[in-house]
Amino acid sequence: MPQTDAAAVALARDGDSEAFHSLVERHSRAVYRLAYRMTGSPQDAEDVVQETFLRAYKQLGRFESRANFGTWLHRIAVNCSIDLIRSRPHREAALDLPDLEQFGATTERTDTSGATPERLMLSTEVQERIGTAMSGLSSMERAAFMLRHFEGHSIEEISQSLGLKTNATKHSIFRAVRKMRVALEPFVADA
Amino acid sequence: MNSHLNEDDLVLHYYGELDGNASARAQQHLGICADCRRSHTRLQRVMAAVDAMPDPVLPDGYERIVWARLRPDLSSPSGGWRAWLSFSPARLAWMAAILVLVSGAFFAGRMTKPQTAATQVVSSDQVREQVLLAALGEHLDRSQTMLIDLVTADGDGMVDVSTERDRATDLVAANRLYRQSAAASGEAGVTELLDQLEELLVELAASPDKLSSEEIDSVRKRIDSNGLLFKVRVLSSTVRERQKQQIRTRTGQSS
Repeated sequence: MPQTDAAAVALARDGDSEAFHSLVERHSRAVYRLAYRMTGSPQDAEDVVQETFLRAYKQLGRFESRANFGTWLHRIAVNCSIDLIRSRPHREAALDLPDLEQFGATTERTDTSGATPERLMLSTEVQERIGTAMSGLSSMERAAFMLRHFEGHSIEEISQSLGLKTNATKHSIFRAVRKMRVALEPFVADA
Repeated sequence: MNSHLNEDDLVLHYYGELDGNASARAQQHLGICADCRRSHTRLQRVMAAVDAMPDPVLPDGYERIVWARLRPDLSSPSGGWRAWLSFSPARLAWMAAILVLVSGAFFAGRMTKPQTAATQVVSSDQVREQVLLAALGEHLDRSQTMLIDLVTADGDGMVDVSTERDRATDLVAANRLYRQSAAASGEAGVTELLDQLEELLVELAASPDKLSSEEIDSVRKRIDSNGLLFKVRVLSSTVRERQKQQIRTRTGQSS
């Protein structure tokens, strides 16, 4: 099995399918994680993983050997996720803020006076809250927020990727953050 | 900036999206306003909690499953009959449209009445439908054969499933495309069936040459509990009937 991604890419370009197999073995989990964060759906994430590797295979000739294969694959995965999201009709119902506010208000505030930020972050309840808040985002809100927060794309870049006007992108991110705050602030200690 | 920072300003500042002057003013204000500083800190803590979002849990051997799904697409020739199965939004779009016709007949239990000779026109849509029906029918027949072989597999100890595994590998990519088309056209029943079939195909494609009798029993139970073989049989029969009706329509025969 090739030692490095660069070596595997070189062999795969020459038709060695086992070399490409080694790349799939190394990177499929990371691609899935990204795709799942972007799409919020295991089924969609699987389709994105498939399409990402297919595109990478077809475009191996364009990959510059000095570049980092993982980073290159990552960009393809982001584009595949965006293509999938853009192909969806924009009718899906995201949770409205009043729904989430009610959800936040009816839950007793956990006593966090003795908890360190690290303990809070790792608690199961916080994780469930994050999951609930994420599921309350529309696909555009989710994609915009993920691209901004986890991928570090600028608002202008996100606007171009998602085919939105800058203000629409900003408002998607604002709404997403607002929903995160409503869901998680009861668990965040005051400064 | 003497005016307070609202939530949206804080978000833009957090992500460094304010321009130079606005950013400097925001930073200055946070230095002198305790309320805004508290809001900013709460935002930072919320975002830190989001950063700790757990990764999705994937099964052991996930990489094998991905490769089993992917390999048939990589080995497809650029031309020939399998070329039209390659992922293409345009192809999926018309496949989805055609699949609506097939699955519509399946769920409604209705078949269109044959046209008279005077009104027959073989359109390009009909030709495409015939091609797709033939391919889908063949896919379902091959899936059925594989399922029957699994259900009737016999052997003490280790059972050789290499033939079924190779068949499953061939079937995975096509099944995925049909599933995607069915999902895109809103055919929940067909999608669910193809989804169940795909799960089984992917696992089989990733399996070793031989399975123990316990593993074979487990596969059989899954096929039985989902009624998978029966459902594939019914859909295959419906597709074949639809093909026959098309031929009758084209040749002007009555049903």
